[in-house]
This record gives sequence, C-alpha cells and structure tokens, in this order.
Amino acid sequence: MTALPWLHRFAFAFGIAFGPLYAITVKFELAAFTVYPSLGIVLLGTRRPLDVVAPSMAFLAPGMYWYGWTTTAAMGATLLAVPAACWRSGWTRGVWLAGLWLLPTLAMAACVYVTMPLFRL
Amino acid sequence: MTITLLIVHGLVAVALLGALTHQTLAAWAPSRTRAGSFFDRFRGVAPASFANAVVVLYLLSASLGAVLYLDFRIDIRPSLERAGQWPALGVFDLKEHFIAIGLALLPAYWLLWRRPFPEDARRTRAAVTAILAFTVWWGFLIGHVVNNLMGFRP
Repeated sequence: MTALPWLHRFAFAFGIAFGPLYAITVKFELAAFTVYPSLGIVLLGTRRPLDVVAPSMAFLAPGMYWYGWTTTAAMGATLLAVPAACWRSGWTRGVWLAGLWLLPTLAMAACVYVTMPLFRL
Repeated sequence: MTITLLIVHGLVAVALLGALTHQTLAAWAPSRTRAGSFFDRFRGVAPASFANAVVVLYLLSASLGAVLYLDFRIDIRPSLERAGQWPALGVFDLKEHFIAIGLALLPAYWLLWRRPFPEDARRTRAAVTAILAFTVWWGFLIGHVVNNLMGFRP
C-alpha cells in the first residue's frame, strides 16, 4: 500500500495527537501560560488567582487557561507529529486514516468526563 | 465594540454552519441528482468546493471567539457563577474544548478534501467533516443559549 505524503502524515499525526494531549492538559491543568484579562498580564504556567493577588481580591482577577491549554497541546502534538511524519511506511496508512476520526472523538468524550464535576454542582 | 464583534462572530458562525452542514450531508448521503426534493438539492452540492471556505470561516470564527472570550471571562462568567449556572458554564467549557480539537483537525481536513483521494479515505473524510460539523453546531447553539441565559431568568 502507498505511503501518505510527508505533509499529510504531519497534518494527520498532529490532528490525531492533539485531542488526547488536550484532554490530558485540561485534566492535569498543564497550561503553558495563564492570562489575567482584568490585569492585562500573561504569566507562564498554570497560575491561580491566589498566586497573583491577595485572597480578598481574587474575584477581581479571574485567570484564563484555555489559551495556555491549547498552546501546550499544540506544542506536544507538533513534537509527536514531526517524527511520525518522518516514518514513511505503507502499512501505517490505515492507522492514520482511522486515528484521525477515532482519537479526536475519544478526546471529546474525555473532555466531557473532565467537565462532569460542573454538572454536579 | 464587543457587541459588534459578537454579531460578526454570530454571522460568521451562521455561514460556517451552512457550509459544513451542506458538506457533511453531501459526504455522508450524496445525492445523484440536483433536482427533486429540498433534501436532495441540499445534499446535491459538490462537497470539495466548500473546504477552503470552511477552513477560512472556522479560523475566523475561532479567532473572534478567542477575542470575545476575554470579555466573557471578565463580564459574563462571574455573573453566571454568582447565579449558580454551573451546567451552563460546563457546556460552555465543552464548547471551548471541542473548538480547540476542531482547530487541530483543520489541516488534515483541508488535505483530505484538497485532492482526489483514494477510496479508502472516503469514510475518514466524511467522519472528520462530521466531527467539525458537530463542533460548530455545538458551539453555535451553546454560544447562543449562554449569550441569552441571563435573559431567561425571572
């Protein structure tokens, strides 16, 4: 069976890897950076409001992690996609094509699981 | 400015929703004829012709959403938290997660639709398109409901 072109292998590997990495990143709060929009600052890593302002003022400085989670998962997916794209083998073609819809679907289900505590409040 | 961006975000989302819904139905249940019922004509489009528009609209909509998210976090979310609207915040969090996963699928989606691919990629192409369509439908409906949520309160 014919191997996929390099660009296809990279894009497919990135798409396959991103979802699970994103779910792991959200679960373990591995944001590359935290945005504090009300203060206009960006800090490296996951930083809680209590790390930034006094406890009594924490409600004035909500932190945003989504940008950092997405960046972490994108960096991880890129790191995995580069060597995967260099692996030129015909038999992996079916793996790419199946993984491309299966793993993002599972990752979305994992995100639902991670978000479940909000529905129990 | 925020209201303007929100309206543009909504309009872009409507265009994206239409393109992806046409494409998904055409990929899963292609119609041989362009005549006939409304449903036949709806899925009788050339699905590959939507790919570039979908990528551009998805990126534009996600970018606008990412900008608006800053205002949402400062002005809207604290009000919803005080009101105890935790399920609404949960489904909105899922919107963020699904859109991020959809964004990462865009390069592969574009390549899958770009060239005449062999038969073994047909199902993958249709499945990836359906995943993107699901993320956009979810984002659109949840964004709309959360946007109006405080108005539902007595």
